Amino acid sequence: QTYSFSDVQIEGNSRIDGGTILSYAGIARGEAVSAGALNDAYQRILASGQFETVELVPTGGTLVIRVTEYPTVNVVDFEGNARIKDEQLSSVVQTTARRVFSPQQVEADAAAIASAYAGGGRVAARVEPKVIRRDADTVDVVFEISEGRLSEIERLSFTGNRAFSDRRLREVLDTKQAGLLRIFVGSDTYAPDRIEADKVLLTDFYRSRGYVDFQVLGVASEFSRERDAFFLTYNVQEGQSFKFGQIRTVSEVEGLSPAEFERAVRVRSGATYSPNAVDNTISRMEAVATEKGLSFVRIEPRVTRNDRTRTLDIDFVVANGPRVFVERIDIEGNATTLDKVVRRQFKSVEGDPFNPREIREGASRIRALGFFSQAEVDTRPGSAQDRVIVDVNVTEQPTGSLSFGISYGVDTGVGLALSFSEENFLGRGQFFSATLNTTDSTGSSSITFVEPAFLDRDLAARFSAFYRISENDNSDYSMRLAGIEPSLEFPIAPNTRLNLGFKIGQEELYDIEQLNSSAILVAEEGKQDSFGLSYALSYDNRRTGLNLNGGVRLRFGQELYGLAGDVEALKTTAVATAETKVFNEEWTVRAEIEGGAYTALGGTQSRVTDRFFGSEMRGFESRGIGPRDLDVENEDPLGGNYYAVARFEAEFPLGIPEEYGITGGLFLDVGTVWGLDNTNGGLASGCVDLNGDGDCQVDDEAILRSAVGFSVFWTTPIGPLRFNFSRALAKEDYDLEQNFDLTVSTRF
Amino acid sequence: CQPIYRSHGYVPSDSDLAMLVVGQDTRDTVGDFIGRPSSAGVLEDGGWYYVGSRWRELGLRKPQEISREVVAISFNEGGVVQNIERFGLEDGRVVTLSRRVTDSNIKGVTFLGQLLGSIGNVNAGQFLN
Amino acid sequence: CGGGRQREVPIEDLTAEQIYQKAEFELETNGEPEVAAQLFSEVERLYPYSEWAKRALIMQAFAFHSDRDYENSRAAAQRYIDFYPAEEDAAYAQYLLALSYYDQIDDIGRDQGLTFQALQALRVVIEQYPDSEYARSAMLKFDLAFDHLAAKEMEIGRYYLKRGHYSAAINRFRIVVEEFQTTTHTPEALHRLVESYLSLGLTDEAQTAGAILGYNFQSTEWYQDSFKLLTGRGLSMEAKGDSWLAGVYRQVVKGAWL
Repeated sequence: QTYSFSDVQIEGNSRIDGGTILSYAGIARGEAVSAGALNDAYQRILASGQFETVELVPTGGTLVIRVTEYPTVNVVDFEGNARIKDEQLSSVVQTTARRVFSPQQVEADAAAIASAYAGGGRVAARVEPKVIRRDADTVDVVFEISEGRLSEIERLSFTGNRAFSDRRLREVLDTKQAGLLRIFVGSDTYAPDRIEADKVLLTDFYRSRGYVDFQVLGVASEFSRERDAFFLTYNVQEGQSFKFGQIRTVSEVEGLSPAEFERAVRVRSGATYSPNAVDNTISRMEAVATEKGLSFVRIEPRVTRNDRTRTLDIDFVVANGPRVFVERIDIEGNATTLDKVVRRQFKSVEGDPFNPREIREGASRIRALGFFSQAEVDTRPGSAQDRVIVDVNVTEQPTGSLSFGISYGVDTGVGLALSFSEENFLGRGQFFSATLNTTDSTGSSSITFVEPAFLDRDLAARFSAFYRISENDNSDYSMRLAGIEPSLEFPIAPNTRLNLGFKIGQEELYDIEQLNSSAILVAEEGKQDSFGLSYALSYDNRRTGLNLNGGVRLRFGQELYGLAGDVEALKTTAVATAETKVFNEEWTVRAEIEGGAYTALGGTQSRVTDRFFGSEMRGFESRGIGPRDLDVENEDPLGGNYYAVARFEAEFPLGIPEEYGITGGLFLDVGTVWGLDNTNGGLASGCVDLNGDGDCQVDDEAILRSAVGFSVFWTTPIGPLRFNFSRALAKEDYDLEQNFDLTVSTRF
Repeated sequence: CQPIYRSHGYVPSDSDLAMLVVGQDTRDTVGDFIGRPSSAGVLEDGGWYYVGSRWRELGLRKPQEISREVVAISFNEGGVVQNIERFGLEDGRVVTLSRRVTDSNIKGVTFLGQLLGSIGNVNAGQFLN
Repeated sequence: CGGGRQREVPIEDLTAEQIYQKAEFELETNGEPEVAAQLFSEVERLYPYSEWAKRALIMQAFAFHSDRDYENSRAAAQRYIDFYPAEEDAAYAQYLLALSYYDQIDDIGRDQGLTFQALQALRVVIEQYPDSEYARSAMLKFDLAFDHLAAKEMEIGRYYLKRGHYSAAINRFRIVVEEFQTTTHTPEALHRLVESYLSLGLTDEAQTAGAILGYNFQSTEWYQDSFKLLTGRGLSMEAKGDSWLAGVYRQVVKGAWL
């Protein structure tokens, strides 16, 4: 039957006022209301979550709504929690001060705290929520926590493994058996979600060794009575190891010959099957397709199994993919960065065919900008089923640094540093830096400005000016260098860039200590202006190369001085670096060969300000090696017209959990500096043979120096640091060794 | 040095276009045969345009459009295909774009704002030379 | 470095009204919105059902907002709307909620996501509380935020236009013409469409766009530019003062788009 109320009366509410309850109920005065509508009103009031009980009592013309409110929470407190701090717990718990108290929520919070502890390996933790009624309408909620001891894994065993021993499999898993250092090592505590991760690790381990049918049947875990020790048993079923059978490349796209794709195959029949090799080949083929400008082409691996010969035949099929277009590229989260700085990283344009590989490469270029702590690029369906919208969500990170303070160079001592650098200048992606560093023996100031997309092309315009003074820095002469170096850099072929520029500079060698300095140096005193043109070719296929986790970087540059100014010379430098990852991508191994030649032209001679000192060789000071005039007191380093250095290094994890960011490394440097135009040393006032070799000639032969050492890489919030500890193997007695160096480890 | 070639946009192949019959196909059948257009006319019943172009980037020179194909499909009021035309790069006009911009009162970050904003955050590169 | 405060009377003993007045004092005279916000939340905690608690909640949202602490201001405003939807201050709470997104647009001009949230919150103010005094200023702010979105579409359209990707540019400018007609960017969008269609050689589409521009925005400079382009007397190739170097200075140093 239906009611109609002329008046509504609300009882029992003290905190929530009548108007609010009426708006929840949604019943207007004098409106005809059926029983069903009354029930809906009841449900709505209850659903507001403010009231413990709600009653709707129609009495004649008036509707009485009788409610009892939930009390509000006054204080939420935690007792007995030592391992996890209050703040972390309060973020897990939903019940907060001043909010409505609800019993179910408090139970849910207790369970949430227990699972937080279980996640940290304390399965034995107990959480008791206590509700203390302060007065009629407020309560305090206290969570009493008894943490119990850390539950560690005593034994980790496997059943069903024939091909690999328990010990080898234990190395594969993340979770470790509790050993001697159980207090320190965190990975031996029992964590349920880590078990899942370990299953994946185990499967990948077997799959990449050809065991296609490998399965983890189950993980049995029993624990001791006091619930602090665990015994885990992985029950696995290995199956057979398969090898690659016949490999073929087939093209289903008319008019497209598979020959070119064939060359990209890196899978040899007869080798053990591994999914990475197949994925690697697919991305290489995709790269070939993009180069040939084919859109809508997809590579499908079709595997046929023959169990008798335990081989897998794989056909890489080049097929026509679905016709999908990029409808829009939407960029969000760029608070200061201009939209074009992010958008220009994508080679695809709105309306182009959708090329997932191109979008992935664009995403990695956005991350490589270094402006964003997070750059998520994902696609969602567009306005039609053949349309896709690319969503780019970035969160910016500070890209500028302004500091005035003290700087410490291992060999230059303490100095004053004032510098401002901004990698995303005014949000335009331009780089701008101005630095002024002075130490007791050196002073350097420089301004650099780089516009990476000059005139909106892939053309980096760079302008840098520097002014450097070094007074008796490890030597008894002083140098003043100043210069301006504008340059343009642009791609001339895939992975190859050309840098063109010119250098205007002035070098001055002054206050050479006359009494015991080498005649060679004295002859070179004075000021010289230099004007030179420079070009440099660089090839770098690390990110886009076909070998996904390694690469080669080559750089060859020449500077020709002499069009104007006093200096006439040709300076050539070259660097070749190769890097790859080994031992399933945990170790990075790198070999680098670097060399340079400075040939003075037009009858002039090289000066110490131009010559090389091989300062990049670890184990020696910045002017530590190279020819010296041993027939004078100062034995000044004279540098050399030529230098060559070879560096071999490996970087590997030290087993310390990733979150500390510490990895180790070994290195071996071999190199030398040699060649002088003028080798007659001794005092300017006449030859006094001090080293007893019968004459005052400076030995400028190429004598090999080498040093070996280990380094510790530590990524800190202020940047990646590298601590090098080294010892020279082969050196001249007059070389200056340096056994410790602290540098910013540049990730090349 | 080696030029880098890149293609943008999409133009249906001749074989697809041959399937369209002037005076018979409507917007929907055209959409099914050759897909929706890369851009369309201003008005609701404007024409459909498929634009495909090939670009060449050589060294530091401005990327150049070396070939462009525009397939214009115009419809009559009933939405039936009226005419299919093809335009090439030569039909395009070189237009000088006007530099004026409607003020959008979005103030970007100022130099001082950025300078003061980066006080305190430090990177190791400045200390260790 | 602040002076030591004289020994505080413990907050618990003060009545709700005293704490409220203390908070108001901090806000108006001392200009300490953060301290005021804390005091207002104390009122709500200690006297959760008094009339003062309700007023303290809305003042708390306002205090956080003037302290530019937008997250807390949003949370407080949302709590007020949940607890007291029928109160006449609910309109102000919803308006404060919208302002918390909107005011962030000024210092983060480029973030499109934020502008979108501001628009949605402002629309709630306009639709649910049309007769409140905040509806009018919400509409004003709605148009400005809407203009921001249109400016973003134009910025992207010009990006593609300058690089010669005319069909991508056309799509962006068409979105401005179709979905953002009420903004100040429509005349420019129409002119850009004339430029793009002419560059593709689609002269009849260019004429349609020019006609719409002429019909609605006859008096704008955009119409004069389009008129020149369409009647063959295009802009002179070298607009005055436009040497190569001036172009480089404008784009690299001043950040202009062309």
